[in-house]
Amino acid sequence: MKFSAILCLPAACALLHSCDQPSAAAVPARLTAPAQAAPTAPIVDPMKSVLRLRTTMQNFNPGQPWEKNPPVSRRGLGAYLVGGMVITTADMVADSTFLELESPDGTRSAPARIVAVDYEANLALVAPAAPAPSAPDAAPSAPDAHPIFAGMTPLAIGEAPALGDTLDILQIEENGVPLITRGQLQSVDIVSTFLPDNFFLTFRVKASMQSVASSYTLPVVKGGRLVGVLTSYNSGEQISDVTSTDVLSHFVREAVDGNYSGFPSLGLSAVRTDDSNFRKWLKIPAGEGGLYVAKVRPQSAAMLAGVKEGDVLLAIDQHSLDRRGYYEDTRYGRIFWSHLVRGLRSTGDSVKLSLLRDGEPIEANAVLVRDEEGTGLIPKHSYDRPPNYLVKGGMVFQELTRGLLEAYGKEWTLRAPMNLLNALENPEDFEEGRRRLVILTGIIPTPATVGYEEVRNLIVNEVNGQKVKDVASLLSAFGTLAPGGDHHIKFDEAPYEIYLSSAAADAVDKELRQRGLAELSRTSAQ
Amino acid sequence: MRLLLLGAILGTATLSAQTSLLAPAAPATPAPSALAPSDIYRSVVRIEVATQVPDYATPWNSGRFSGGIGTGFLIGKNRFLTNAHVVSNGRRILITVYGSPKKYPARVLFIAHDSDLALLEVEDFTDFAAFPMLEISPGVPQLESQVRVIGYPVGGERLSVTRGVVSRIDFQPYSHSRADSHLVVQIDAAINPGNSGGPVVQGSDVVGVAFQGLRSADNTGYMIPSPVVRRFLKDIEDGSYDLYTDLGITDFPLFNPAMRKAFSLPDDGLGVLITDVLPTSPADGLIQPNDVLLAVDGSSVDSSGQVTLDGENVNMHEIIERKFAGDIVKLRIQRAGQPSEVSIKLAPVPASRLYAIQYEKKPRYVVAGGLVFQPLDTNLYASTKLENIHVRRLFGDYVRKGIFLERKDIVVLTRVESDPLTSQMEGFAGLAVDKINGTQVRDLTHLHEILTAASPPEFFVVELFGAPRPLILPSAEIAAANERVQREGSIPNLSNLKD
Repeated sequence: MKFSAILCLPAACALLHSCDQPSAAAVPARLTAPAQAAPTAPIVDPMKSVLRLRTTMQNFNPGQPWEKNPPVSRRGLGAYLVGGMVITTADMVADSTFLELESPDGTRSAPARIVAVDYEANLALVAPAAPAPSAPDAAPSAPDAHPIFAGMTPLAIGEAPALGDTLDILQIEENGVPLITRGQLQSVDIVSTFLPDNFFLTFRVKASMQSVASSYTLPVVKGGRLVGVLTSYNSGEQISDVTSTDVLSHFVREAVDGNYSGFPSLGLSAVRTDDSNFRKWLKIPAGEGGLYVAKVRPQSAAMLAGVKEGDVLLAIDQHSLDRRGYYEDTRYGRIFWSHLVRGLRSTGDSVKLSLLRDGEPIEANAVLVRDEEGTGLIPKHSYDRPPNYLVKGGMVFQELTRGLLEAYGKEWTLRAPMNLLNALENPEDFEEGRRRLVILTGIIPTPATVGYEEVRNLIVNEVNGQKVKDVASLLSAFGTLAPGGDHHIKFDEAPYEIYLSSAAADAVDKELRQRGLAELSRTSAQ
Repeated sequence: MRLLLLGAILGTATLSAQTSLLAPAAPATPAPSALAPSDIYRSVVRIEVATQVPDYATPWNSGRFSGGIGTGFLIGKNRFLTNAHVVSNGRRILITVYGSPKKYPARVLFIAHDSDLALLEVEDFTDFAAFPMLEISPGVPQLESQVRVIGYPVGGERLSVTRGVVSRIDFQPYSHSRADSHLVVQIDAAINPGNSGGPVVQGSDVVGVAFQGLRSADNTGYMIPSPVVRRFLKDIEDGSYDLYTDLGITDFPLFNPAMRKAFSLPDDGLGVLITDVLPTSPADGLIQPNDVLLAVDGSSVDSSGQVTLDGENVNMHEIIERKFAGDIVKLRIQRAGQPSEVSIKLAPVPASRLYAIQYEKKPRYVVAGGLVFQPLDTNLYASTKLENIHVRRLFGDYVRKGIFLERKDIVVLTRVESDPLTSQMEGFAGLAVDKINGTQVRDLTHLHEILTAASPPEFFVVELFGAPRPLILPSAEIAAANERVQREGSIPNLSNLKD
């Protein structure tokens, strides 16, 4: 091994020493020496416990959902975990069409598959794609026995570090030389690193990072064990965001058993009570903190436990919440209350809520559930889900997703169509009789759509007398027309109803298929 | 016209005729008339306006003192015509004449913000008495015919004359109010800042008032044509200017054959679909969505919403445009396949003025405990960043979804002045007020009544659209906060409820 590129720090020198020895087990001898011993000498050799990950991401064109945008390639690093799996971020594998693991020295590579992914927590587990069995009666090999892992040492997940602890961030340079950067766990915060509005405990690690090939998703270790995954680095402040050990170990524990149950949620949104006028009105006694329950999601754990809008949440499981929503964590000090549920609990757990209603204290018991991705009129995300659509005579219909509106650019909250922004904000106004919100996103000028060229971004209510509850029902509604008739389409906004000649539409559809629009619809269940 | 010119020359001397026959053809010009071009120069005046423009972002302030130059022209005894935007928000108006340095104080008699026209008079008309008065021609000039623009544009201090032709006759937005569209005539004579309000003449007759240009194009200037000017002059005959009337319908073109078939329409390229009818508008109750509009006052409406008027293809609203409040318009419609005639008595829809920029108005506001409330309108939108989706939705739906029937004002909490009472309330700025203590707030005056009631409740619970929690204002502390905020912010009055 060559270490010429490593910075000459005590850490590096110890590594050099350990590599000369036949096995890692010999190293501890140096560490137990008193006083002069290097503090927390790293035992991890990136070359043995880190793999490169190559992904190609390709999402669908929001305006023309039958085709994909150009592919984007990315490279990152994943930590090799016990059980033949590699941990990385969800960001790396979202909408991936190609996944490959590569040994750090570049001599071995293998196609990979996703074992589990959580877009809320921004974590993913990948493993080598199952190899074809060499003989029909050969025993299935242990996952760790896959050739990609030859000579490598899996990492175990360690104990959560304390504030001030030193952590090592692992990188491997282009030429195959490992690079370890020492950093300090400076603070923690509850932030959202991928899907908006999903907040998780994140370490803020202070270290000056080098930009190196494959610098996405870096493993962070302490005492020879994995304690976090680096998701982003702010070079101005020299602070990295690292997914915390609590979140990491929860994810891996839940994902490995094959039946991933995600991170639980209470289903309520709450706001601070630090406005003294507000506190007086709520009759919160002096000395108490508390959060005001602004919204309780239907069918959520909080709703089923009897929590109501207007209640004041004083404590969760005896942890008092202050007026800004922070509680005292023994390890990390004051952190935001959501960690008590999302970080420290699993679905199915029960939590005790201490509330104030009209100034009177009450208690409630909530059984935590996962906020399922499938529910709700507008899905929380559309990763790995090809969009449903229908092209009929040149009219393009899709199901409304947040991604469609985000396609309007950075200022999408101002530039996207008002009626669709309104639907995103108030989905309950459209939920009745619908599974998804079908919209006409645009019109391809054809002989069938003469006069409709300016019609776009309208919510579809009915077609041929049938309520439209998703693209699949839209397709069948178009199919109910008697031959030779004209389709009747009803919208939520002007022009409210238009007609489409079925003969003209069928001719147009035939022509569109000949001109590169191979599939006129996609109606997979999502 | 060319023939006329040739005829005149042949009648004099053959040499001249031959010369003229061989010479390159000059562009057609109208026959010389009684007034020589230079005679009317005196009647085109320079208007100097000092303005005070209100500040909607800080509504208790005096506003900005500014000014500008425009042009006007004499059309009657002590009657000068110009654009509304030349004299809007004007505090001092001075008129100067070609060839003289004297400045004559003037004032606005009538002003039409929805068609950008204004009529002025001077305090002392004596010096103008001998000036020729310009006639407004009856119709719209022909495409390609020549026109002259006379005025006081940038590029010099003295009178300027530019020449061009009529390029296009169209129905376009008038930028002064931002909410109105009327007939415009586009010309390629240079129209620059300062020309506004000046006459566009053909011969000695005025065919329009120069008023706006198109920055993104070359040689594209617009004038307000005679029909719009004449309508203004007729309207003010009764002593006041009334708004344009609005039928209150929204239409959709009927080009698609399948749609025409569904509405039992023949393949004749006529008819538009009515999709919306504004509540309380003249058409409300008489016209319904899904009616097909076939003719207006006997003129057939084609599928793009155009009619033929005076031999020109114009937007059907042109017919309504020429009418006044109280006039009748006859619509031929088809409802559920059956034809019928509907007579509608025209009137304006005052609620629509929300979308027009307001002039000569004092911003209304209420300051309560450091919270500043203002009614939502286009002026507020132009001065303050309002991005909240509920505010945007309420503004867009105000007329078409009938919100104005319940709330005359959409009251917005625009600012939270720094004060011990409001130090935790900043997050509420920019949101629209829904209710106070369970009562829906109808308008700014209503909000003021609630907040200044003689025996108020201990807390005002203010619910705002899109806020996760109510804003709590303890009534007993409002007076002290007002006193502090007035002093610190130099706010002379805590409210202005009249514009």
